Amino acid sequence: MSLFSNKQDAPKTQAELLYEAQLRKERHFKANVALSWLMLVFILVFLFSGQNLQIGSWTFKTIEVDTEFILNEIDFIALGLGETLRISVLSIMLAMALALLAALGRLSTFPPIYALSTFYVSLIRGTPLYLQIFFFFLALPQLGIILTGTVAGVLALGLNYGAYMSEVFRAGLSSVGKGQREAAMSLGMTPGQTMRRIVLPQALRFAIPPMGNDFISMTKDSALVSATGFVHELMWRSVKVGRAQFHNLEALIMAALFYWALTIVLSSIQSRLETYLSKGDR
Amino acid sequence: MVPIVKISNLDKYFGRLHVLKNVSLEVPEREVLCLIGRSGSGKSTLLRCINFLEEPSHGSIEVAGIIVEGGEKGARHRQLVHDVRLKTGMVFQEFNLFPHMTVLENVIEGPVTVKGMERKHAVEIAEKNLDSVGMLFKKDEYPMRLSGGQKQRVAIARALTMEPKVMLFDEPTSALDPELIGEVMNVMKKIAYDGMTMIVVTHEMGFAKDVADRVIVMAEGELIEDSKPEELFSNPKDPRTKALIDRYRSNENAPQ
Repeated sequence: MSLFSNKQDAPKTQAELLYEAQLRKERHFKANVALSWLMLVFILVFLFSGQNLQIGSWTFKTIEVDTEFILNEIDFIALGLGETLRISVLSIMLAMALALLAALGRLSTFPPIYALSTFYVSLIRGTPLYLQIFFFFLALPQLGIILTGTVAGVLALGLNYGAYMSEVFRAGLSSVGKGQREAAMSLGMTPGQTMRRIVLPQALRFAIPPMGNDFISMTKDSALVSATGFVHELMWRSVKVGRAQFHNLEALIMAALFYWALTIVLSSIQSRLETYLSKGDR
Repeated sequence: MVPIVKISNLDKYFGRLHVLKNVSLEVPEREVLCLIGRSGSGKSTLLRCINFLEEPSHGSIEVAGIIVEGGEKGARHRQLVHDVRLKTGMVFQEFNLFPHMTVLENVIEGPVTVKGMERKHAVEIAEKNLDSVGMLFKKDEYPMRLSGGQKQRVAIARALTMEPKVMLFDEPTSALDPELIGEVMNVMKKIAYDGMTMIVVTHEMGFAKDVADRVIVMAEGELIEDSKPEELFSNPKDPRTKALIDRYRSNENAPQ
């Protein structure tokens, strides 16, 4: 008992005081940012509240939204979340596989493989994603290949993101030092074993945080797939009900809020993952 | 006595640079051989040619009865190189432990992945070797949490666990803080006394003097002196060797 009270009564050192002051400053800053965010959200909500604001002789009319429409249609649009996530997850899986192959191809000393990899990246990065989606959905049927909207969308998104993400994998692979390969070879590992056991695990750890970012932006780019007209994800649903009842404002606001919320959730998962990985055994 | 390592007429070029010039060398079993010389003399390259981390341009390497001709290609050559690597263990200047594996996983990786050894058996050998380098107490740590000296001792255990015939050391203490050199040197001494054949590229003249059976001095890609350590230190023949030893003496006598 007395031990504890003694400790508390002891005068604080200069360093302790400075440290506490800094902590207070950081807490203060964070609290103020949170408060400002809250105000910005409040202003945004107010802008769409349909109120009349009287300041002296001035009257401001804020935007009025049809709450009845929103309540009626929110379920219909929310159902698109699952489809949006499904397309994104399938596409990111395809993209990761392609990105890894393209990155390995980039390291190849066999000219045709190296060429294939650079050709793929150049072609895909040189054309718009929107065009690629339509190419799979509208152009391929002319060749007798008919794909559903979802398949066309996943192929296009996967190919597109694979080309961009190959750079991430390449950076990951080159982040593994030459000494690691030499140590593996000196133990008698084959090039395949060296890649699987030593280089890839380290490269993947390096590539996971940027891949998370790509996944988040992919969830939003998946909206482009709605253009095929046959994939019932968030964007398609909001456009459908908005146009039919001439309530595009409300419908698009709802879709925007869903995308935004999804991004916030995914970003927080992503930043936790990043902290976890950086704490690891590097 | 049959040599366990035999290097015959070895040449190595890096582009137009002739870094090893017709080098021949035999190392009998259980010998501790130190390769010394200024940087750029070719001593590391020679060591790395023995397990083909550098492919020799011409000449042949024989390790424990396996003869490999330099500068060849093809599946047979790759198989021979693989066989030689199984007979040699290597310790690097920069340790090169695998950062994504614990100490124990680092040490069993070779036996399990390369030799297909049962994990349980590999762990037994690994723990025995970790114990002999004094690192068993850190077996579940990741390399990041070890000091340089500790990392190098784990790297030595990793190489030993492959049960090689020859150990190759490439400047094993050059990346260490001075106060950590001793612990690695002691482990190396112990391995030498246990009868391991060792080829050590080093700047540590003290180690060469105390532990080596034989010291070879290299300069400009050639072996310029090959003698017992006591002879080398008391009576260097080549002026370049003399310069090397004088510099070591003046460092040793310098006030710390």
